[in-house]
Formats: sequence, structure tokens, C-alpha cells
Amino acid sequence: MNLVLLRIAARNLMRQRKRTMLLAGAIAFGIMIVTILNGFAGSFVKNISDNFSYLMGGHVFVSGTEVTPSGKRISIIRDDSVIMQALEDSGQKWVSLQKTSQTIATLIFEGKSIQQTLTGIDLTHSGMIKERLALVDGNWENLSWSNAIIISQSIAKKLNVLPGDVLVAQLQTITGQNNVGEFRVAAITIDSSFVGSIMTYVQLEYLNSLIGLGKNEYMSLGIMLEKLEKSGAFANALYTSMKGMGLNLFDRSTKDENGSMTPFQAMLLEQRTEQWTGTKYRLYTIDDVLAQAKQIVVAIDTGSTVILIVLFAIVMIGISNTFRMAMYERIREIGTMRAIGVQRNEIRSMFLYEALLLSLAGAIAGIVLALIAMGLLTLISFDPLSPVFLILKRGHFSFYVPPLRAIGNILLIAVLTLVAVYAPANAAAKLPPAEALRTVK
Amino acid sequence: MYSNVSRKAKSLRRRILSILSLLLLFFTGLNPLLAQSKPDPRELIKQVDDLSDFSGKDFSAVFTIVTQKPGEKDSVTQARVFRRDAKKQFVILILLPEVNKGQGYLREDDNVWFYDPTSRKFSHSSMKENIQNTKAKNSDFTLSTFAEDYTVTKMTESMVGKFPVWVLDLKARTNEVAYDRVVLYIRKDRTMLLKREDYSVNGRLMRTTAYPKYVELEGKLLPSQILIVDEVNKGEKSQMTMTEQSVSPLPDRVFTKAFLEQVSR
Repeated sequence: MNLVLLRIAARNLMRQRKRTMLLAGAIAFGIMIVTILNGFAGSFVKNISDNFSYLMGGHVFVSGTEVTPSGKRISIIRDDSVIMQALEDSGQKWVSLQKTSQTIATLIFEGKSIQQTLTGIDLTHSGMIKERLALVDGNWENLSWSNAIIISQSIAKKLNVLPGDVLVAQLQTITGQNNVGEFRVAAITIDSSFVGSIMTYVQLEYLNSLIGLGKNEYMSLGIMLEKLEKSGAFANALYTSMKGMGLNLFDRSTKDENGSMTPFQAMLLEQRTEQWTGTKYRLYTIDDVLAQAKQIVVAIDTGSTVILIVLFAIVMIGISNTFRMAMYERIREIGTMRAIGVQRNEIRSMFLYEALLLSLAGAIAGIVLALIAMGLLTLISFDPLSPVFLILKRGHFSFYVPPLRAIGNILLIAVLTLVAVYAPANAAAKLPPAEALRTVK
Repeated sequence: MYSNVSRKAKSLRRRILSILSLLLLFFTGLNPLLAQSKPDPRELIKQVDDLSDFSGKDFSAVFTIVTQKPGEKDSVTQARVFRRDAKKQFVILILLPEVNKGQGYLREDDNVWFYDPTSRKFSHSSMKENIQNTKAKNSDFTLSTFAEDYTVTKMTESMVGKFPVWVLDLKARTNEVAYDRVVLYIRKDRTMLLKREDYSVNGRLMRTTAYPKYVELEGKLLPSQILIVDEVNKGEKSQMTMTEQSVSPLPDRVFTKAFLEQVSR
């Protein structure tokens, strides 16, 4: 690299400060928009995954399905001893296990009603409940009630209930028969998030008795790991171990013929259409469930790249014209330089250095602006009951820009600027010195 | 003296014998009558099923459902129902409220689809689901299948208003029937269902349905007014009124998804 040429290029940029600022500003604006989009996409899946892990109580899940003689599919794990053995044999580590049953019920209290998904877990022994929920009314001791129910503040307000009140629940058994239960409000939780506000926890054993499951039966086993990132390897090891124990499992990598479904959706379709006897198990991870969300990220990333290219196509036309103008402005200067021995390729390089410095300055400024904008956006607090909460981190936007992505954007800008400036730079290099010196502006 | 006593005794014996013979004759004669008045419970529920069965014919009617909920304004839902019982098909087209106009339900065999004209999408529904915001279920618009789904566990007598009725206590044959126990109150003098009680799996009364008015269509008695009372959510009830009932043949295209899409445009 010729440092003298680089210095001249920098000086040339400084000579026309206003023009340089405008060009660098255009580049910075484009980079800022694209970096914010990349940052949003980068944290999108992570936020959704975290929120769903919380909602579903695990990172990896095993659920059982049986086909009744009439062809109805019911969700049930009758005996989990083999699954537990397979877990042990897989050699993997987990943080906690959670057995759950779920149903949709209409909760009724003194003429007011609301439809809710009831999640049955062992409230008395669940560490997760005490760890995650903050009580505003009632107490943990009430969880020993056999028909205890934990509801969120918003639901308590809608039904106008207090701890100790008895709610009537209208629900259906796993085979579709109508049933009625009575739940006693043990505790009311604060709505820390959209996720928290939609969760209603009840005693697993009592819920099972209402929906037609046995005392030790349940629908799904949630396995919480140390980190979400480990779920793929964990699921693979557990799948192999369960297969090895002779359990009937749905294929995890099933794909439909036209490829329009994710493997998880294909597995669900198989569960709805296939025939089998006994219990067939479904093993899946949060990532499997959210495969479609990942497609959204790919779409956002692709969209941001398209925006980047379109924005810069416009900016590059501007840069190209500006450099052509600069060349005519400096035509006598170029003639002089050429007359004192500066070579053609050095003239070309001088213009290209100018473009490179301009693009780098614009790109760096754009990234700095994006960081400031993202910092400001994270300060906005969203309503916990808003469904957008699922893509947020504790009610706020969060951003993660993969470093390689940012470097890639800078390189792309640099290359595009060089391409845009190459033609005027080449024209400047090819100017005959005598003709250039004779030119009068 | 002795002959007098003996004569009296003979005469008394004769009288007793004749009374006994008369009683025997009376009860033997009445027995078939008694047997006739207490019908076979299975036959009775079959007759109830037959009343709503229009197999071989198409059926259509307009149902107006007025639903009352405590603290809420009465809501009116109107739906046109098309039935083809022979093929287990029905279409329920929502006419009112205006905001839900064009929504519909289509039954093909055991599948029930709900159509939403706003999203132009069909979603899975079931016979056990309520129609809109009412207390009526999809299954209330189809032919009843008590004889197929239930066994009679008890048959007693009672009164509904001024009418003597047979009270049939039914238990579901499988655990896939919506209500595990149903009690039917059937008029004695003419097979007409006057009242029905639906119970949950754990034996709690969930719904009471009264059938105060009937109309005759093609020799069959059809309830033209139905009152459904939600016994769990006290104070909530729906009143269904049937009008424009007909058994005129319907085109095949009525029982298709395309029909629901077309009429909602």
C-alpha cells in the first residue's frame, strides 16, 4: 500500500467535507438500517425459544399418543419407567424433569367465565413453580390442597376471585366427554410476562382424575437442560436410547414429499394419519417446534440483504457521479501529478483509496449509529399482556448482531463502493497529462 | 244345626273361590294391558331417534337462537341448517349476528369443519362444540343416536308439567360420547321428548334441555322450540326456535366446502 497516496486520498476527502459527509451519511444510514434488522433477527429465535421453554417447561419433550378403537388419538404416557431408564442410559445431563397434563377448560366463578389452558404439574414438589412465579396473593402452603389452582393476576381480576375461592371448571376428558371439576384458588401470581399471564397451574393428580387419566399417568415429559443449545445433541442421544429400549417412536427427521413442512409438522401429520397399537412416542425439542420461526429469521435476513443492495445501488449511483464530478474538478491537478511522474495506476489507486476510506468511514459510523439506536430501542417497555411479548426479552426488544454478519456488511459496502468508483477512477488514470493541464474549468 | 253351619261354610268357600277366580281372571286379563302400557325402553329411545331421522330425505330449517348470559345483553344467532342424514352430512350457515354472517360449519362423516370468511380458511371443529356464543352444540342440529350410544339403566314414571312421562336413565356405551349419563323424559301418550338432562362423567348435571313445542313434518314430530339451560354456569340459557322447516331435496353441492366459500362472498 502506498501511504502517500492514502494520505492524498484522505486529504482529498477532507477538502470537500460537506460532500464527503453526505456520501458517508448515506452509507451510514443504509448500514444502520440493515444492522438493526440483523440484530433483531439475531435475537428473535433466542427470545422465542427462551419464552417457549418457560411456557412449556422444558427444552426437550417426550409425549405419548395412543389410538383408540374408534380411531381417536389420545395423548398419554401410561408407564414412564422405560423412558426414565432410557434417560439414564443416554448418558446425558439434565437440570429437571417435569411431568405435565394439559387441557382447555372454562373457568367459572359467580356468573363470570374465562377459557384457559390448565397445566397439571405436581405443584407440591415442583421447584420450577416457586422459582419462577412471584405471588401477589395466597401462599405456597396452599399448594398442598388436592384441588389447588394457581392463576395470574389478570385472570383473578377478570373472575373477581381471591385465594380460597372455589372455581368451577368445565372441561373434556381425553376421549371428549364433558366433565366438571372444582378448583380452589391457592395463589395469585404477578403477570411478569405475556407467558406468565396465560399460564394456569393445577395439581396433576386432580386434573388427571377429571380428564380420565390415571394417578401416575400424564401427557408429556419436559426435560430442562442447562442450556438450550444442548437440546439437539441431548434429543439425539435420548432418541437412540429410547429406540434401543424397544419403544415405538415417531421418526424425528420425517419430511413431507413437497417439502413445505418442517420435520416437526411432518411428525404431527404422521401422528394424525398413521395407525399403530400401543403407545407411540414423540421426541422433540424447542428448536423443532420453532423451526418455522427460524424460517422467519431467514426471511428477515434475506430481506435485509435485499434492502442493503437496493439502498446501495442508489447510493452507488450517487457516489459514481460524485467521483466523476470530482475527477473533472481536479483535472488540472491530475495533469500536474501525471506531469511530475505519478503513474496511471497510482492515479487510479488514489481514487479507489478515497472510495475505500469513504465506505469504511460510512460503514463504521452506520454501525455506531445502529448500536445507539438499538440501545434506545431496548429502553422501550411493552405491555406484558401483548402477544408481541413472545418475541421480546422480558418485555423489551433485544438485539444480537453476529460479528461475521457485520463484517460481511462492511466488506459488501466496500466492494460495491470500489465498483462504483472504478469507472471514474479509470477515466482519471487514462487522462493524457498535456490535455489535462490545458483544460480550463 | 250342624247342617246349617256346614251349608254356610260351603257357601263362604264358594264365595271365596269365586272372588279368587274373579281376581285371577281380572289380573290375567289385565296383564297384557299392563305389559302394553310399559313399553320396551330400547324401543322407546329408538322411536325418539326415529323422530329426528330424515334418512332418505334432505332437511332444512332456520334456527333462531336467543342466548341470555348474566350481566350481558341478549344475543341473537340465526343459522340456516341443511341436513342429509343418510350421508351423515350437514351444513350450518350463520345468518346473524351480522358480524359473523357467512361463517359456517360443514360435517362430512365424523369430521366437522368451521369456515371463517374473513380468513377464508377452514379449521377443525367437532360435534361437541358450541355454535358461536350459544349453549347449542353442533350435535343438537343432527339426528339423535341415543339407541346407538347409550344403554338404558333405569326406567321410571314421572310428570313433566301436566304430562305423564317415562323417565329413562341412559348410560354411555363408550367413553367417547359427549355426556356420560343422559336422562330423557318421554311423553307417555305419544312419543315426544319433553325434557333431557345431560350429566358429566363425575355425575354433575351440566345441561337441561326442554322441548315445549313441536311441529309435524312429513308425519314426524319435530321440536320447534328448544330451551337449553346451562346448569354449570347458572343463569346462562339459550332458546332455539325452528322455522322454515322443509324436506325438499337439496343439491349435492350444498354439502361441500365450495358452497360455504361461495355463499359467504
